[in-house]
Amino acid sequence: MDNNNNNNNQQPPPTSVYPPGSAVTTVIPPPPSGSASIVTGGGATYHHLLQQQQQQLQMFWTYQRQEIEQVNDFKNHQLPLARIKKIMKADEDVRMISAEAPILFAKACELFILELTIRSWLHAEENKRRTLQKNDIAAAITRTDIFDFLVDIVPREEIKEEEDAASALGGGGMVAPAASGVPYYYPPMGQPAVPGGMMIGRPAMDPSGVYAQPPSQAWQSVWQNSAGGGDDVSYGSGGSSGHGNLDSQG
Amino acid sequence: MTEESPEEDHGSPGVAETNPGSPSSKTNNNNNNNKEQDRFLPIANVGRIMKKVLPGNGKISKDAKETVQECVSEFISFVTGEASDKCQREKRKTINGDDIIWAITTLGFEDYVAPLKVYLCKYRDTEGEKVNSPKQQQQRQQQQQIQQQNHHNYQFQEQDQNNNNMSCTSYISHHHPSPFLPVDHQPFPNIAFSPKSLQKQFPQQHDNNIDSIHW
Repeated sequence: MDNNNNNNNQQPPPTSVYPPGSAVTTVIPPPPSGSASIVTGGGATYHHLLQQQQQQLQMFWTYQRQEIEQVNDFKNHQLPLARIKKIMKADEDVRMISAEAPILFAKACELFILELTIRSWLHAEENKRRTLQKNDIAAAITRTDIFDFLVDIVPREEIKEEEDAASALGGGGMVAPAASGVPYYYPPMGQPAVPGGMMIGRPAMDPSGVYAQPPSQAWQSVWQNSAGGGDDVSYGSGGSSGHGNLDSQG
Repeated sequence: MTEESPEEDHGSPGVAETNPGSPSSKTNNNNNNNKEQDRFLPIANVGRIMKKVLPGNGKISKDAKETVQECVSEFISFVTGEASDKCQREKRKTINGDDIIWAITTLGFEDYVAPLKVYLCKYRDTEGEKVNSPKQQQQRQQQQQIQQQNHHNYQFQEQDQNNNNMSCTSYISHHHPSPFLPVDHQPFPNIAFSPKSLQKQFPQQHDNNIDSIHW
């Protein structure tokens, strides 16, 4: 909390030089795959956001590893197994599926949904929105290599919309609401600031400063959910050592 | 562009459990085709999982949930297709958990592999014993041998409790050393080379061995 407050009060880095009289908001350059020229200030900010995302994802994977180690019940799943099996069987080449495959897929799909949502939320935050939308999903897909197989899922207009948004932010005519001529990374958004500081528009920091930051707001909710939710229904039968198994064949 | 979707669904965090296979009662799809719904996982389940990683004041539009629904089905088909191809090359008919993990690795989802291996190992420790039958067990052993020959790095061994514990510990011990197993405890040797000696060791290793295996 204190670190975030200090970070909020930190002035923009001196290297961010903009023409006088122009209001500056967060500059979003094109996806990294291109070699187009990137504004220095915008590149730094974008790089900073990417670092935040990578750090966020690293914490996510560490958390998933720890959570799975606590699993002791395989009867309750976040996703229905019969539906997963039906989707698997849609492929005519698939003949037989062992019982463990849909159960494993239930966990794999949960990880997939979580990663896709984290990457999509970054795009929503870049656009100062608190509602995840379809074009945020499209942006995450275009920016992530392992999601290449999904490019056909999102229509062209969604990807184009994302590009237009990036172009609008990257091009000229940037206007920040209620902003003076001074470079301003935290324009008012009509609602109280999120406790712990905002995720977007944060000035670039040195690596030690970045990694010293506490977990982001999203992860605070994750830990809260973990503490409160846990196993919704736990039978404890998962810990059976098989003593009661009647399949004893000599 | 700032846009608030009027159709946004605040979700249903209080929903206890969704019946497997039945569409969620909260689903308000425009498409009433039942087969169409069966191609996706329930939107309520998907939305609930998405909310886990959003901040408290974050919201999810309905079109975002529907898009993720489609992405998940594509993910399942993508991985299943890769696993199925592998089974066909190896002339096996049943897709198992190891095939899924192999496909996920091949398709670039490296971050998923470690959690899923732990998950699969734990599942086999607990649930596998209950549904184990001689035919199924033998089938798994054969698959396991093929796996070991093809991927020496694989650590999955499901011959008995101790081996499974060792397999689980080999992942967990990286962060949390396990105090339950003796340090000098060694997993079984490669069963492909000593099937008969395995039978002799069973009474010693597993007093309450419920599955008497006859080779």
